[in-house]
Amino acid sequence: MKWMEVLRSLNDWGAVLFGVGFLAPLIAQTMEATGVPAPFGWPPIAVGLMVGVAGGLVAKARRSWV
Amino acid sequence: MSAAVETNGRSDRELTREEREIAKAYLGRVPWEMVAWGIGNFLVWLSLWPLVFLGILPLWVGFLIALVNCSLAYLPSHEAQHSIIGAEGTKLRWLNDVVGHVSTIPLVFPYRVGWITHRRHHAYANDPERDPDISSRGETWWKGAYNSLRERQPGSEGGYARAMRETDDPGRDRALVEAAILRTTHFAVLAVLAWSGFAIEACLLWWLPRHLGFIYLVTFLSWAPHHPMVERGRYRDTRFWKSPVGRVGSLWMEFHIIHHLYPKIPLLDTPKAWQALEPLLIERGIRDDRVNASVSDH
Repeated sequence: MKWMEVLRSLNDWGAVLFGVGFLAPLIAQTMEATGVPAPFGWPPIAVGLMVGVAGGLVAKARRSWV
Repeated sequence: MSAAVETNGRSDRELTREEREIAKAYLGRVPWEMVAWGIGNFLVWLSLWPLVFLGILPLWVGFLIALVNCSLAYLPSHEAQHSIIGAEGTKLRWLNDVVGHVSTIPLVFPYRVGWITHRRHHAYANDPERDPDISSRGETWWKGAYNSLRERQPGSEGGYARAMRETDDPGRDRALVEAAILRTTHFAVLAVLAWSGFAIEACLLWWLPRHLGFIYLVTFLSWAPHHPMVERGRYRDTRFWKSPVGRVGSLWMEFHIIHHLYPKIPLLDTPKAWQALEPLLIERGIRDDRVNASVSDH
């Protein structure tokens, strides 16, 4: 099944997708809700994306978040 | 089994016959309470979303309820995995499958994967190579929970992945497709909510309670009743134990040995079955890990 192949390929990048798709906005919105300012006057989502993508890449390489 | 084994003058075969005769009394009932538990628990969890989004329920209350929902989400599906609600070919089979699928949605645990892997767990309990639940082995409950958390990581090649790869179950492909749909949907919902400005709500109503619920379930449904996960065999691969949080707090898992001996006895009947079978099972040499408790405590 072709779409299963597509899902499998996406799954290989699952940690990074999770970092971008969920972790990044979660970090940004948590910073806004708790009043934590982003460094260098960046928007919170920039911080979220940096942490989310970096964390996702590390998790992908280690094949684990923990 | 060998008939040569003698216990109090009775052969192994006689003991088995006696045991089965007693257990028979607890088999065959449709556990309607588990149907209500599974569907009701899912509906309560589902209702949290509009209640929190409309501001009727504070998010922190929603989180606590979701945590309970996720912790309660597995067992009704587990009854369905054993076809206790409706066996193949019976008129309640559809309900069995509905409960199996629906109750574990908060946990994002695919029913048919559970079906295949759980059957393997029963067949090979505590086998380091073939028991999918061996990942929850650990000296302490938190080590067991951590080991199990590692099993659920993106690139895990642990017991569940191996079980699904090695199984010859005819439902394997369907199980994998359903698992892919469930997990993709879960991620899509989290991502859409998060990028729509509701990341904290998505985190506290689904993502975090799911992970904490798994820790609770792994601790009480796998680690505690099988600890230390070394011995094998019908009467030794699980144990009777006293839970520090009581019968309900441990989801009736003190009686997990009854479930392994007679998997089709409904969960809430396992205490009664234990009471009836206890003297015989003690005679059989089961692992009885009670501390300072008398035989009649249960």
